[in-house]
Amino acid sequence: MTAQLQTARPRGRAVPASQTAATTFRYAALIVGAVVMIIPFLYMVSTSFTAQAYVLTLPPQFIPNPATIANYTQALTTQDFLLYFANSLIVALASTVLSVLISSMMAFAFARYDFAGKEIIFRVLLAGLTVPAVMLLIPQFLLAKDWHLLDSLPGLMVFYIAGSLALNTFLLRGFLASVPGELDQAMQVDGANAWTRYWRLALPLAKPAIATATIFTFLASWDEYPLALTMINNPDHRTLPVAIAAFQGQNATQWGLVFAASLIAIVPVIIVFLVFQRYFVQGLTSGAVKG
Amino acid sequence: MTRQRARASATPYLFLAPGFILFLAVIIYPAIRAFQMSFFDWKIVPGAVSQFIGLDNYVRAFQDGHFWLSLSNSGIYMLATVPPQIVIGLFIAMLLKRKSPTQPLFRVLFYLPVVTSWVVVSLLFKYLFADSGLVNFTLHDFLHLMNRDVSWLSARGTALIAICALGVWKGIGWSMMIFLAALQGVPETLEEAATMDGANRWQRFRAVTLPAISPATVFITVMLVIGGLNVFTSVLLLTGGGPGGQTDVVLS
Amino acid sequence: MKRSLTIGSAVAVAAAVALLAAGCSSGSNAGSADKPVTITLWGSYGNGGNSTQQDALNKTLIPAFEKANPGITVKYVDIAYDSLLQKLTTSAAGDQLPDLVRADLGWVPQFADLGVLVPLSDSMSDFSTLSKNVYPGSLATNLYKGKYYGLPLDTNTRVLITSQAALDKAGVSAPPKTFDDLRAMAGKLKGTGVSLFADSGLGAWNISPWIWSGGGEVTNKTETKATGYLNSAKNVSTVQMLVDFYNDKLIPNLITGNTGATGTSDGLPKTEYATILDGPWMQGIWSGQYPDFAPVYAPIPAGAGGSVSVVGGEDIVLTQSSKNKAAAEKFIRFTQSKDFQLAMVKTGQMTVVPSLASEEVAVADYYTTFAEQLKTAKSRVASPQASKIDTVLSTELTPAFLGTTTVKAALDKAATEIDALLAGGK
Repeated sequence: MTAQLQTARPRGRAVPASQTAATTFRYAALIVGAVVMIIPFLYMVSTSFTAQAYVLTLPPQFIPNPATIANYTQALTTQDFLLYFANSLIVALASTVLSVLISSMMAFAFARYDFAGKEIIFRVLLAGLTVPAVMLLIPQFLLAKDWHLLDSLPGLMVFYIAGSLALNTFLLRGFLASVPGELDQAMQVDGANAWTRYWRLALPLAKPAIATATIFTFLASWDEYPLALTMINNPDHRTLPVAIAAFQGQNATQWGLVFAASLIAIVPVIIVFLVFQRYFVQGLTSGAVKG
Repeated sequence: MTRQRARASATPYLFLAPGFILFLAVIIYPAIRAFQMSFFDWKIVPGAVSQFIGLDNYVRAFQDGHFWLSLSNSGIYMLATVPPQIVIGLFIAMLLKRKSPTQPLFRVLFYLPVVTSWVVVSLLFKYLFADSGLVNFTLHDFLHLMNRDVSWLSARGTALIAICALGVWKGIGWSMMIFLAALQGVPETLEEAATMDGANRWQRFRAVTLPAISPATVFITVMLVIGGLNVFTSVLLLTGGGPGGQTDVVLS
Repeated sequence: MKRSLTIGSAVAVAAAVALLAAGCSSGSNAGSADKPVTITLWGSYGNGGNSTQQDALNKTLIPAFEKANPGITVKYVDIAYDSLLQKLTTSAAGDQLPDLVRADLGWVPQFADLGVLVPLSDSMSDFSTLSKNVYPGSLATNLYKGKYYGLPLDTNTRVLITSQAALDKAGVSAPPKTFDDLRAMAGKLKGTGVSLFADSGLGAWNISPWIWSGGGEVTNKTETKATGYLNSAKNVSTVQMLVDFYNDKLIPNLITGNTGATGTSDGLPKTEYATILDGPWMQGIWSGQYPDFAPVYAPIPAGAGGSVSVVGGEDIVLTQSSKNKAAAEKFIRFTQSKDFQLAMVKTGQMTVVPSLASEEVAVADYYTTFAEQLKTAKSRVASPQASKIDTVLSTELTPAFLGTTTVKAALDKAATEIDALLAGGK
């Protein structure tokens, strides 16, 4: 571990004793933190492998006995679970890509230009962030009805994209603003137009922030429940959260089933997370200033 | 020259247009509608006449003792969850900043609570804080920190502890992510220069890192404060606002 | 730089593909909706992954109806119970309601008040014939301002459930038949660590059976006033009995909102609780979770008012926005038929037709107690404000149990607040 740490920090002065202590502390803290984070999650995994008769006994059992995969087979076979999975994937992917694209353009304008109304427009965006989504449900539903967006997946996307714009713009603008403007000015002197500077310079520079925005937006669209419930009537257009909620009954809930379905639903989010988190590693220093 | 300036001044608006128009139509317009509805004795059915009652809805809310209790609950939740999420999130981000083989694994572990749905984690915490749940088991039977089991969810104070614990647990991964992204934006050269000047770890953190990530800190603080005031699902599922509405928050 | 370009184009392609796919999937389904007559029914028969009710409807009942009524297609859409009310509310605002809704009986006045339901007592010529066949208590839940806005679909009620183990522990031979029996049982259970009775709240569903059995009322007959009824001396003594049990640790703090306490469905089989009040669905829950547990069903203990329980269940309602009201009314008639009612009995839904009670009991023994209890069971206040009344009851009664106020003061306060709600909701 010490060796790795030193390769990672080539200039680190050799004070082995304090280095080792620091590394030990670092790992101890991380492990304790990770254990706290993961225990409730493990409990959920264990419950998903437990038959209804043994679910949620107190005190909690972490190793299911007897274990069963019946919850997973039932989750996958009752309802059109795979169709709903595909619906969610389509909606979440398209919303994420379009939202990140549109909001990074807005962030670019805010970070690199001075223009009339800049402050006001930015404040309007901020104000949008403070409105609780529950409050917007009925007006948005009426809007969707007028625009014939009800009961369709593209209709849901419009609301998911709009809903994530402010957060993403705010996030990306902050990041772009903290990046020195010299490179941009240099490209401008070279005659590059605004689109080139956005696409070729700002976007690659903002990689860590774009990765963050992608992960957040994907998760938000993937998990969204109230709008999906309200806007979709045709069962063929349902998304996954609506299907998972249907596993909760009026008088009884099969928790193993709900947890199994939820765990299946977590997989795509983790994949998106794993794919995009590697952009954190190559930060500014290696990407732009040095390269 | 004049053409150049004209083009330059139109550019930011072109970049803003697609997003901002969508935002105005789909978020701001409905928000104004919702605000407008709050001044009416709103009849949701089309065709029915909604009566304008001015500030009556607000007056009723402000006169209702329950509203103030809810407001104070939301306030307590915010105060109790925002600082820990920022401090712990930043701390973990600092620990995970450097490249190492285990780093991706830890990132995923800390991010897991964020990706798990509120409904599921709320139910999990309800069982963890149940009378004979894991928390009582750990604190009483295992660590002997308490001399009896506590009915966590039966009284306002202890129920708020459980709700806040859930909020912090689920939120740390989120702030960690943004801090991690922001930390990548801190030029290493600056840190190295500070090291050369003989600054110790804490001094480097104070003088270089903190100022460099301040936009992210502001962003996280604003978002967490807003999110804290909007907490709803976890309260509903954990205590249902109980006992007797004592843990209700503003939105409910 | 090269790398970012490839990412950018990959992202653009992904977006295009996703949009295209979305367009296709919505396009392909749009055409199939316009058959001669299609009526849509929303409900929550889905019951948490237990598909027997939904299967009975989709695989047996609806095909039978469609066969008997050519040209009518029935489409059932299952919606999670917890979300149904919210979905109905927003859909009503957007004029997007389906033809028929299987609604919780407490919701009917609320939607009738919004003006989105068709008064069946006006629109169906044979309404009086149909309404005579069902339990009056269930029918009454559809009454709003002198008109009936629906017909009952299924019903349930709460009875006393106990176990042989609990009775043994208390040293009694039979379940408590009266309030006095209950008090005697309390004396024997004191200090044993077993609670006499457990319930999960203090709303109308929870507290009404006690109030009515004790001889009291929640409101006057016309449901316009609670003061003088809810805070009567009879109710004070009934609630005081429960509060005394609570103070003697014979009722757990589950009733005052400790969601961390053992639930009633676990506490009874584990003999932590000696008795609970609950519905016919518990049998299904226990047969899955506690296969060895044999619940004992008995009527609600009788007080001065006899043994009176509370009616639950669902009603079927027709919406104003339905474009095929005649076809929808045909389906409503079908739901009142013997075939429909008995098919649902087999899936755990009690029939609303008293003349089918003997056939119902033949399906499962435990229905006997429930059917008997239903004969005297009463329905809660039918008002658009019903859920607010629930909140008032539990908010005001909780302090009486916790000892921060007296029972009398709590009931006075609740009655005043309910008066205001009833005056506002008319």
